[in-house]
Amino acid sequence: MSNPSLAQVRSSPVAAGRRTARRDGLAAALMMGPNLLLFTVFIVVPVVGGLYLSFTTWDITNGWPKWVGLANYRTMFADPLVWRSVETTLKFIVLGVVPTVFISLGLAMLINFRFRFVSAVRSLYLIPAAMSFAASAVVWRYLFLDGPGFGVIDYVISQFGVTPPNWLASTTWSLPALDIITVWLSLPTATVLYLAALQRIPASVIEAATLDGAGPVRRLRYIIWPGVRYMTLLVAIVALLAFTNGSFDLVNILTKGDPLYATQTLIYYIYENAFAYGLFGYAAALSVLQISILGGILVILRLLSRLVRR
Amino acid sequence: MIPFARTRRSTRIVFAVVVGLLLSAPLLYMLAGSLMSDTQLSIQPPQVIPSSLHFGNYVDAFSGMTQVIQLRSFVNSVIFTVGAVGLQWMLCVSGGLVVAKMRFRSRNVITILLAISLFIPIITTLIPTFIVTYKLHLINTYPGLILPIAAQTGFGTLLFRQYISQIPEELFDAARIDGANWWIILRRLVIPLAKPATAAYLAISVLTAWNMYLWPLVAAEGGSLQVLTQTLASAGTTGQGEITPQNVIFASVVIVTLPMILVFIAVQPSFVRGLTGSGVE
Repeated sequence: MSNPSLAQVRSSPVAAGRRTARRDGLAAALMMGPNLLLFTVFIVVPVVGGLYLSFTTWDITNGWPKWVGLANYRTMFADPLVWRSVETTLKFIVLGVVPTVFISLGLAMLINFRFRFVSAVRSLYLIPAAMSFAASAVVWRYLFLDGPGFGVIDYVISQFGVTPPNWLASTTWSLPALDIITVWLSLPTATVLYLAALQRIPASVIEAATLDGAGPVRRLRYIIWPGVRYMTLLVAIVALLAFTNGSFDLVNILTKGDPLYATQTLIYYIYENAFAYGLFGYAAALSVLQISILGGILVILRLLSRLVRR
Repeated sequence: MIPFARTRRSTRIVFAVVVGLLLSAPLLYMLAGSLMSDTQLSIQPPQVIPSSLHFGNYVDAFSGMTQVIQLRSFVNSVIFTVGAVGLQWMLCVSGGLVVAKMRFRSRNVITILLAISLFIPIITTLIPTFIVTYKLHLINTYPGLILPIAAQTGFGTLLFRQYISQIPEELFDAARIDGANWWIILRRLVIPLAKPATAAYLAISVLTAWNMYLWPLVAAEGGSLQVLTQTLASAGTTGQGEITPQNVIFASVVIVTLPMILVFIAVQPSFVRGLTGSGVE
């Protein structure tokens, strides 16, 4: 590299001349070009193109999309399965994200102290993070097995004299069952985030409060919660994204939207419309709805976190 | 007072361990189940520790009538993970340097775009992404499997940006006075100094790629590019009415998951650092 490159000349103070501000435009373009190219082709174009696509019908195997105006959106508003799956999606998210936030805070508090094998014990808490939704689905399908002489979960429940539900085959319990799996998979990340926040609270502050007679409830209320509050928004967002992804993987592997659409989330309905019925334009319109819902929840979370801070 | 505090402490440790065992119970049960016979797995009350060990399940997972894991999907998973993560790492570390240290006009716009993309999971743009890939004639090819995932550079670029912006400006000035251009700075200064960021990035993205199910499902419809998550997903539910025994399924899940669990335990601190940006020990 004996020849000074153009980037180098441009970035040297001398070449910049009277202007003190260095300009790296060309070097930046060259170095970031491939990144931005791929990012544009596979993220920006799909986001913008998806919006366009939602106003068309398209049989992708032949020709180009045909403009149909608002037809897809009209179909969407009249399609009862859309609203059913929006409801299912929201239920799935609320039933899952809320417990994830509270349980992970509890877990983080539980392992936020030092003892001899602390890192080994923490590993027990974090290992599920290494599992895929697909692998978890296969394992939990067996744990959730129904009927006499089968699933471990049913066995444990029946020991308490309770009749276990039919889990994945029940219209009431299939969605909560998928939530249980997703909560289990989301807890490690959420716990790590809360643990990071907890470790910034000096142990001496908690000790001082304890000596002053503050019980666990008041310590939680006045020291721990204010210390980890800022992290809650991030925990909720990360969990929200995990539940958005998980709602496809688990549904596709375990229930296919059954029984009676009880687990048909919006994302699964989008997938079916595109890849089972070939309705790509309609699926694109539903994707716009999906992104709007996700965006809406993010805005609500943001507002909630502002309210709580006051 | 002191003995009292000590009992409370050990109670807390015991409680923490019990909860930890409960959380990892599905995994431990899977491991135990992968070593049981059919009858051991289905008797009541359920066995937790196998009364005798059946390592043959692992052979059955790879061969014969009960075969779940095809060598081909193992190779595909490795190619997909290494390809997507390797390419994405190159894009992200160089991109991170650009947005952290270079001065140009559209820097803020690019940073904001990358940040917004974090909130758009591929699942929400699946349909148009599929169509773009289809129109580029990349469906059922390795590039079609890899490129759209490698293109998700938001998280990595911002992670490296965060780390690189903390490298003192003086080091860059010194390198420039020594005649280094940006490429040399990237190779000799940034990449070596950003090793902890690379470790954190790898810990998270290798797991994500290895565990990915949806994109390979639509990008490799033909079957010869199937990855392991798909193999697992279809185990036990074959259309021909053949049912894979559950102990063989458990063994297959262990085979697919164990590499990631081992990697995970080895890199756990990096994983934690990648999630939190720093802080946790």
